[in-house]
Amino acid sequence: MGITTKYWKGVEELKQTPEFLKQRESEFPFQNSIESFLADENLNETSTGRRDFLKFLGFSVAAATLAACEAPVTKAVPYVVKPEDVTPGLATMYASTYYDGLSYASILVKTREARPIFIKGNKDFGFTHGTVNPQIIASVLGLYDSERLNSVRKKGTADSISVNVADGEIIKSLKKAKNIVLLSNTVISPSVKMAIDEFSKVYAENGTSKVNWIQYDAISYDAIRKANLANFGEAFIPSYDFSKAKTIVSIGADFLSTWLLSNEYAAQYGLTRNPDAKWMSKHFQFESIMSITGSNADYRGQIKPSENAAVLAYIIKGLGGNAGYSGSINGDAKLKADQAIKALKNSKNESLVVCGSNNIDEQILTNTLNNLLKAYGTTILPADAVEMFKSDDKQADKLFKDIIAGKGPDVLINLGTNPVYSYANGSELSKGLDKLNMYVSTSRYLDESANVAAFVVPDHHPLESWNDFMPKTTHYAVAQPTIRPLGNTYAVLESILVWAGAKQRGGKDSAVAYDYIKANHNTMFPLEDFAMLTHNSCKSLTSARELPVFKTVGIHAPTKGGGLEVVFYQKSAIRDGAMSSNPWLQEMPDPISKVTWDNYITMNPLQMEEKGFVTTFDQEHGLNMAKVEVNGMSLTLPIYPQPGQAFDTIGIALGYGRGINGEAIGRGAYQTKEYGGFDLDDKGNKKPIGTNLYPYIKLVNGAFSYAYVASMSKVDGEYPIAATQIHHTVMGRDSIVRETSLLTYLKGDRADFNPPHMLQRLNEHGHHEEAPLSEFDLWNAHPIEKVGHRWGMTIDLSSCIGCGNCLIACQSENNVPVVGKDEVRRGREMHWLRIDRYFASDEESAVGKKRDDDNFSYSKAEIAAKNPKVVHMPMMCHHCNHAPCETVCPVAATTHSNEGLNQMTYNRCIGTRYCANNCPYKVRRFNWFNYPSYKKFTEINPAQDDLGRMVLNPDVTVRTRGVMEKCSLCVQRIQSTKLAAKKEARTIVDGEFATACSESCPTNAIIVGDWNDSKSNILKSSGDKRAYQALEEVGIKPNIWYKVKVRNEEVQA
Amino acid sequence: MEISNIQQVTRSLVFRLSFFVIALALSPMFAFAQGEALFKSKCASCHQIHKNGTGPMLSGARQRWADAGEAELIIKWVQNNAALRAGGKSKRAAAVFKEYAGSQMTVFADLTDDQVNSILDYVDAQPKDDGKAVPGDTGAVDPNAVPGAEEEEGGGLGFIWLIMAVLFVVIILSVGGVRRQLKVASSGDESMDKLSYFEEFKALAWKYRTISGLVGLVVVIAVLVIIFKGLYTINIMEGYQPSQPIAFPHDRHAGVNGIDCKYCHNSVTKSKSAGLPTVNVCMNCHKQINGQGKPFEGEIKKIYAAAGWDPSIKPAGGYKYMKKENPIVWNKVHVLPDHVYFNHSQHVVVGGIDCKQCHGDMTKMNEAAKVQPIEELNKVDGNIKLSKATLTMGWCIECHGAKEVAIGDGKNGYYDEIHRRLKKDKNLYKKYLDNDGKITANELGGWECAKCHY
Repeated sequence: MGITTKYWKGVEELKQTPEFLKQRESEFPFQNSIESFLADENLNETSTGRRDFLKFLGFSVAAATLAACEAPVTKAVPYVVKPEDVTPGLATMYASTYYDGLSYASILVKTREARPIFIKGNKDFGFTHGTVNPQIIASVLGLYDSERLNSVRKKGTADSISVNVADGEIIKSLKKAKNIVLLSNTVISPSVKMAIDEFSKVYAENGTSKVNWIQYDAISYDAIRKANLANFGEAFIPSYDFSKAKTIVSIGADFLSTWLLSNEYAAQYGLTRNPDAKWMSKHFQFESIMSITGSNADYRGQIKPSENAAVLAYIIKGLGGNAGYSGSINGDAKLKADQAIKALKNSKNESLVVCGSNNIDEQILTNTLNNLLKAYGTTILPADAVEMFKSDDKQADKLFKDIIAGKGPDVLINLGTNPVYSYANGSELSKGLDKLNMYVSTSRYLDESANVAAFVVPDHHPLESWNDFMPKTTHYAVAQPTIRPLGNTYAVLESILVWAGAKQRGGKDSAVAYDYIKANHNTMFPLEDFAMLTHNSCKSLTSARELPVFKTVGIHAPTKGGGLEVVFYQKSAIRDGAMSSNPWLQEMPDPISKVTWDNYITMNPLQMEEKGFVTTFDQEHGLNMAKVEVNGMSLTLPIYPQPGQAFDTIGIALGYGRGINGEAIGRGAYQTKEYGGFDLDDKGNKKPIGTNLYPYIKLVNGAFSYAYVASMSKVDGEYPIAATQIHHTVMGRDSIVRETSLLTYLKGDRADFNPPHMLQRLNEHGHHEEAPLSEFDLWNAHPIEKVGHRWGMTIDLSSCIGCGNCLIACQSENNVPVVGKDEVRRGREMHWLRIDRYFASDEESAVGKKRDDDNFSYSKAEIAAKNPKVVHMPMMCHHCNHAPCETVCPVAATTHSNEGLNQMTYNRCIGTRYCANNCPYKVRRFNWFNYPSYKKFTEINPAQDDLGRMVLNPDVTVRTRGVMEKCSLCVQRIQSTKLAAKKEARTIVDGEFATACSESCPTNAIIVGDWNDSKSNILKSSGDKRAYQALEEVGIKPNIWYKVKVRNEEVQA
Repeated sequence: MEISNIQQVTRSLVFRLSFFVIALALSPMFAFAQGEALFKSKCASCHQIHKNGTGPMLSGARQRWADAGEAELIIKWVQNNAALRAGGKSKRAAAVFKEYAGSQMTVFADLTDDQVNSILDYVDAQPKDDGKAVPGDTGAVDPNAVPGAEEEEGGGLGFIWLIMAVLFVVIILSVGGVRRQLKVASSGDESMDKLSYFEEFKALAWKYRTISGLVGLVVVIAVLVIIFKGLYTINIMEGYQPSQPIAFPHDRHAGVNGIDCKYCHNSVTKSKSAGLPTVNVCMNCHKQINGQGKPFEGEIKKIYAAAGWDPSIKPAGGYKYMKKENPIVWNKVHVLPDHVYFNHSQHVVVGGIDCKQCHGDMTKMNEAAKVQPIEELNKVDGNIKLSKATLTMGWCIECHGAKEVAIGDGKNGYYDEIHRRLKKDKNLYKKYLDNDGKITANELGGWECAKCHY
């Protein structure tokens, strides 16, 4: 070791600059300490002496004492006439249906004192089988957004006007108009369709209607429909059945999170991921960004978006078909494609190929491949068409171009779409809309598009209105309101009927929509009871559609790739941006990047290093900025190191940059300052979070494309990023994550994939011997195994797809505060449940498994592989029976119950934070501030306004500053389950108790229950050969088990 | 539910044994208790025993039907009056219906013939000269139950002590003064006079330093104890009695008229909140009982105003519905902090706790409702006797420590299952649960934090 390597802290040290030498002398080099830290100029002028402090202390103690003696008078106001199904203090569940143009699910809405507080999936009815997505769960918060319009607006007036005045003006212009356009999201409501039909008939001249109805969605799936039109002669989107697919090949389709009916697919996919079942699906993903779906794939090929067609063509050729095209693909992807061909040959028609791109030719190739596999009829069900996503890109594009050119219709009625935000030329479109003779919007917010409308007649929130839906040709559902409309809003259905002159406004308690929907139902199903349908929320129909005949068609020459390609993708929380003002969703860490509150460019860190970008960041250090040029325009965003991103590609998420002119779209969509208040730009406008990508989207071969050739350059500036996990790898610690391949697992030797943890001890002869951990114990056993209940949970890492439903459901159920970007950046996020995401490094054969025990390099293990495997691991309080947190609490604020719960008593806690320091899982959260009242959180915490507070669960305490909190295993639900059983004098049925997380899991990865119940699912699951406990060697005996992740790979691991 | 009703009634029967000697001789005790319980829970909201109200008075009802020659049909009438009227065979039924201007009686199809008879037996056995039943009476107040008597006594005692202490100090000072004068006079030492009282006291204390040290210690400890005891009384809600918008006499409703608590506070068996009666529940009776000419007429008019009736206009057919409802804004009496979860149904249904245990004997409470001090609660017959102040956590857990839970008696499947699991380990069972031969709420986890705090 002759060479002494010297490390410099920076260039300054190397050059020994005078500033550096001066700073080196002092312990705290930066002189702007306390005052600037407190950021209060007035502080310099004040001087608070010790005596003053004592005076204040004495006064506050006395004042507090006196104040405490005075009991505040609380009012109690009973109903005048009690509604039959509302009992104060009892929750009522209503079956309903959620549809917002993007997501669809059969849901149950929990109401307390007649206000909705929680949404979960309806497991008993509907094809979504109880699955939801983060947006659906969080939509309940949107109901209580105080920036939602609560009355009719007329352009140019700040005050609201009467709806009758607006109706009069609108009808007057409709009567005069020569051409009328109705612009809506895809309408799946038979009643709304019928009302539009009525409307079209009313406004007709010489038998031809003057009304043109255009459906337009921000996210387009037009290519699938157009491809089917070419192949089958009919534009439709089929139903997919992933549960029957033994081999799944996805070309960039994020079908577990954002693609089509992803919640339905997630449930189906979950069914095929059980290694103990007869077969386990084999999942191939070829993609550029690291998507949730890609992170779950057994084989993942990294390709550029321009290679999509080539991969499809290669597989078609491999299966003996003719694609009519061949392109080059990179070597690694080719290896994966060969594997895919092998698997597809084995599974034949029990295979499914899906493609996420909105390119007609690529979709035609996908159809060709599926037809070759004979997947139609088994995994693809064209007879059961999805009635959603009927946006016609060309038609919408023409309409907007006409409006911009001043050739727009006389009257445009916009039924809630937001093209000014989601169309390429938004700002020009806004000017064009402004010039129309009459432009009416039914938007719920005064958003980008509604801002210039002559009249805005706001629609109800989905939880406030009656609706009927036909999401598929074989499914009929209704949505019932769960609360009386909060503001003076009007159902779209009613508005259309009123404007058609068919109905009169029904006032605040209008039954117009209800009567119309019910009458429609009774016409369609004369023998059936509408009340029963409302109770169930939906029913299945039989389809008369026949399997269409496949016709081979040729394709255009695919678009050329470039040196660098950009993919515009959707994040699972923000998606198309319609709900980007929802603070729960903004603060939900992205399942893959773990970044909150931000929009960024993703790039592979290995390539970033080559290009000179920083690849690490933390509380003090931000990320570099980069300028991306796409389609002749440029945007500047921070550049985030995303392991697994294909080389020479970057990804940017859609849905950001809402409210560029400071529109009132909800406070969560804007940037806030470090000590509260909106961050304003030079013009005094609120700064939106991130950049809007829709302006960069254009029609390519007749459909909006989401991938382009781009160029990128580094620009000056550093950008702070708030991520909940900044370390990517697990570094060989197999006691946290355990992973194996199906081959190894099926061989059945537990020691190979789930070895027990061994410790050394002295035996009676004084020799060392190894014994399993279960034989060691520092404490006497807590008597939970015999007494009453023992609540526990198992989490199957094989099924967990990392979608984040559990996190949002937990936030909704347990009143978890929103803390904002600045606090998350400081590591003070409050989520009780987090999902740790680990990437494998080249030093590991599988996540957590050292490739070579002797030459393991920890510094290399810190770097994620170029194409890493991924594990998602939900992490919450483990309710350890020998909990380290309990032993260090000086005031016994955290104690153990005889039911195995680690109880946190807020009113006892004095905030020493010893418990958090002693927690091996780092799941305890400290209330650094009074989030429901401190000014820093006014803009982001919904609990700070009277309306937003209505979403709080009254059974869970809102925690105050200075106390610790953590997952309680939904103890309020445990208690109410027990009470229900006691009142009915019966035992608790297994499955009756569910936590918010287990209930929201689309793949049933989370199982909870009573471990002491000999027949319980949890007892069986925790005794499984795949079950292990994280950090078991610490000896803390948690009540949470994980189950080893099994990948369906052809290798031993 | 029925079980706990009967238990409650049985206890009150024993208490008022003297009233019922004759009645007891006539009918078996069980049937009689059943009659009273059924009367209170099903009939008392509309019927009084000796006075016509929303419905006719019940005493003598059987006789009146017999006089009309339809003695058998009264049973049918009670069980399903609508069916009887519809049948058209009963003249008496039509007459009663007409007399009460077509106001419908609730159908009690679940009552058996025996149960109806037990109710009628009970009402007929009630002596008419029961002083409590006279309308307009302010209600008999039990002199022993005057609240606050002990408090005054206690306060008076403290005051006397204070006066005595002041007197004592004055005497000591004056005696000391006299002694000093005498000392100066006798010794002629002028320097002695220059010493202030304080300096003299210091000198004296130094002289007897052991004793004064000990006394000082005792004084310091006493002061600390007093301060802490004082701090512990902060925010104790005992005796809290906010004013109410309507002077509601519980004694008249629950006491004189014997309306079951659960009739008005009807979510007590279902929900965490017992619930205040909604105005429509009030109107079930007060549609008829308008208190005309009585001192409390104004109070009842407030209910009419709340229900949307106009109390100022009274046409011949009754008050007029104005469709402008005004909910009554009550002041909450029992207020728990937000970090406490309390569920009424858990205590009433599962625990079988009588309302009296925490709310005292409301049948005797003429004034606005208040948080009963623990001394008052302890006086109520049948209550578990506790020592900590009402509505404090000490009070809760004291009761959880005392209240026995019936476990493994085959009556509640939930507790039977818990019992079965506990018995698996005999030693543990003995150690944790059975050391005193009984199983209390706390031994089943009733003292654990997350039972109430989450």
